[in-house]
Amino acid sequence: MPSFISNFKQRLRLPRMFFRRPTREEQIHGGPPLEFERPIPPAPWRGIAVTITIIVTAATVAWELYARSVGYAPTLDDNEDLWTKARRSVQPESIVVIGDSRAWFDVDLDEFEKGLGKRPVQLAGGGMCGFPVLQDLVSDNNFHGTIICSITPRIFFAPPGTPPFERGEKAVKRFHSQTPAQRVSEELGEWLEEYVAFLKQDDLSLEGLLGQLPIPNRPDAHVPPTFPPYFQTEDRERRARMWEKCAEPGSELAKRIRQIWIPLFTPPPPPSYIPQDIFMAKMKEGIQKRFADVTAAVEKIRARGGKIIFVRFPLSGGLKELEDKTTPREKIWDPLLQMTKAPGIYYSDFPELSGFNCPEWSHLSAGDSVEFSKRLVPHLRQALKMPVTP
Amino acid sequence: MLFNSLTFVVFYVVVTTLYWSLSGWKLRKNLLVVASYTFYGAWNPPFAALLFSTTAMDFWLGRQIGKARAKKRWLVASVCMNLSMLGFFKYGNFLLQNFQWLLARVGIIYQPPHLDILLPVGISFYTFHSLSYTLDIYRGVLQPTRSLRDFILAVSFFPQLVAGPIVRAGDFLPQLIHPPRLKTNQFLWGLALMTLGLFEKIVLADTLLSGSADRVFGYAGPLVALDSWAGVLAFAGQIFCDFAGYSLTAIGAALTLGFHLKDNFRFPYAAIGFSDFWRRWHISLSTFLRDYLYIPLGGNQVRPFRMALNLVIVMFLGGLWHGAAWTFVVWGLLHGSYLVIERIFRIFFEEKPWAGTLPVRLLAGFATYFAVCVAWVFFRASDFTVASRMLTGMFGGHAHGDMILTTRELLQIGIVTVGLLSLHWLMREDAFETTVTKLPGWAITAIGSVMAFAIIFTQGSSNAFIYFQF
Repeated sequence: MPSFISNFKQRLRLPRMFFRRPTREEQIHGGPPLEFERPIPPAPWRGIAVTITIIVTAATVAWELYARSVGYAPTLDDNEDLWTKARRSVQPESIVVIGDSRAWFDVDLDEFEKGLGKRPVQLAGGGMCGFPVLQDLVSDNNFHGTIICSITPRIFFAPPGTPPFERGEKAVKRFHSQTPAQRVSEELGEWLEEYVAFLKQDDLSLEGLLGQLPIPNRPDAHVPPTFPPYFQTEDRERRARMWEKCAEPGSELAKRIRQIWIPLFTPPPPPSYIPQDIFMAKMKEGIQKRFADVTAAVEKIRARGGKIIFVRFPLSGGLKELEDKTTPREKIWDPLLQMTKAPGIYYSDFPELSGFNCPEWSHLSAGDSVEFSKRLVPHLRQALKMPVTP
Repeated sequence: MLFNSLTFVVFYVVVTTLYWSLSGWKLRKNLLVVASYTFYGAWNPPFAALLFSTTAMDFWLGRQIGKARAKKRWLVASVCMNLSMLGFFKYGNFLLQNFQWLLARVGIIYQPPHLDILLPVGISFYTFHSLSYTLDIYRGVLQPTRSLRDFILAVSFFPQLVAGPIVRAGDFLPQLIHPPRLKTNQFLWGLALMTLGLFEKIVLADTLLSGSADRVFGYAGPLVALDSWAGVLAFAGQIFCDFAGYSLTAIGAALTLGFHLKDNFRFPYAAIGFSDFWRRWHISLSTFLRDYLYIPLGGNQVRPFRMALNLVIVMFLGGLWHGAAWTFVVWGLLHGSYLVIERIFRIFFEEKPWAGTLPVRLLAGFATYFAVCVAWVFFRASDFTVASRMLTGMFGGHAHGDMILTTRELLQIGIVTVGLLSLHWLMREDAFETTVTKLPGWAITAIGSVMAFAIIFTQGSSNAFIYFQF
């Protein structure tokens, strides 16, 4: 009876093994030329390959058409490599925008360029704590430009280890460690994303779609918060614009996002494994440390001729009420300006900046962001002690 | 560059097209050398110089071993050179920290400088590729090659360069003698293996499992048993799909270029016993350790106590090979202990009539999987505090602990784990190719289409493979 192995080889039509004496040429490497050869399962591989190619191409085209039919359009994915590309463009005297998504959505680069005389570099990002980025700019001894830093208290004061802080940290880390291969992948990815609508990591990926399944969680589970669905586009300069569908009056999408902000910006209960008083003391200590670290960073950047200005961007509705209650101005904003002695612009201090309505309570529509930026520029110029006209 | 990146897609298409377009064999080999160094240099160009220097040294040392009478001296030089390189880059800070700890035990306060060493990607793998050459020449199973180019290619061949399989020079160099012919079926089968490998990595490991495993192992508080176990099972699935996925992609890519690499995994989660597990998990490492360490130490041909000690020594070093941390050492020692316990069991029970019955085999298989999962805790945990917290949670020590996984994540982990175990058990006696042979063409087409579309649909974010860090 043939052994399992020989039977197996026969079934798979394996080439004969080499058991002959090696030739002189083969002896250069010592031994028979090929003692192992992978079996190739007998199947009509050509036909299978052609059919798979047709099915996958058809499925991909169908998926793309579906994505476009429900309103998605090609846009860039906001990832660490795109951020790195922007960070690499920072020059010693650049104007740099850092912080969370409010600066990312609400700053129009064209208006800032017109008003400030230089095109700013957009380094703010969705849910990103600006502090690691600030630290990175401060540690860059060549940099002595201007930093415009958005302050959303719960994000800017997020402690290390939390998602907002890690987001900033990861972006900075990628800037310092990006490999040539990652750089090439980013270029290729941008090219693809500008043509293909379904390439949205957050929303239309398998993970994003699975996350949207309405499966209830266990009653006491501390599950991560839900993040908003796709509602912005982004270009190569990382300029984010709110999707028009979200900005429409009475938009269902905007209503859905509003309901996501509330739990996301509500302070979570203390973890079960740390006594509440110790946790609160730690949090307080962390915030004081952040004040001190930011003050040191501001002093350092000023010492070499750089400037920094903090900006509180508009917000509306229930989210404004929540932020005013949980992170009141006198607890965060005022001490920040006092300690750092840096200028600051709080949108509600100025009538021309406070009349904007955020469709989903947290960001301005693309159109309003242009107008807001235009109105913000004179305040920035004044606060930064720039001449009246550029 | 990563297999799951756009850069690799373009790189692979260009290299493969050029490779099969060129007619001269030497020209094709030169192309592969340039491609392999480009592949490696795309992480960090200076690392390519380091790779070249160790390769060139081993080439020269191999020739010395081949012709010298005092072979041992040259072999020692090769082993020292390779291991010192590995030691410096991988274990430098670890050794200093432990030295500091030891001095502190005897009352000497010493603050060692922190060496800012960047670990070259895949150094553990290519060091072993290269080391196998001088070891095999010393053992008399391989003659030194006269071609530096061929040896460079054997060490740096891009599919297996950074995360295995560990391909011995003796397995690869003979394949460089005659040019392979382009065979359509072989090429397409290679592409099929690459698709399966990338599916395992991008869809199963990165999308369905890694997030849960990361959150559970990264959680600072106590977890209930369900979440603790779910995290461990997620990691068990993740590391298999990640590493086996890489190996399959490497084997497939090599096959499309006409090279044959051996299997690195054979359905390990259907192993019955730990010897069986190590015949199925990271086969290229376990056979490397067997041939170059376990057998020279005496292997099975020594007294039982010495054999047990040999097993523990081999697994201790195997653990350390994976990473410069005591958690990896404990993982290795656990596996060493498992192997010793298994030998003892075999002495008493192997001949019993009930030992080979299906229920006993199933029970032994699940006991193996259970013990392997317990060991994974040390492999994945960043330190012993995390490992201890995880183990306490797994064995019911945190009845009032937290629940942090969503129902969806628990379902994902459950489905993938059950699917993975079922497939491993169904295919455990066969080679993967045999299973494919049994499938009708339409089923292969359907599975291939689902996998290929899932890769596109998933839009992976180019996460690095876990074994790159080793």
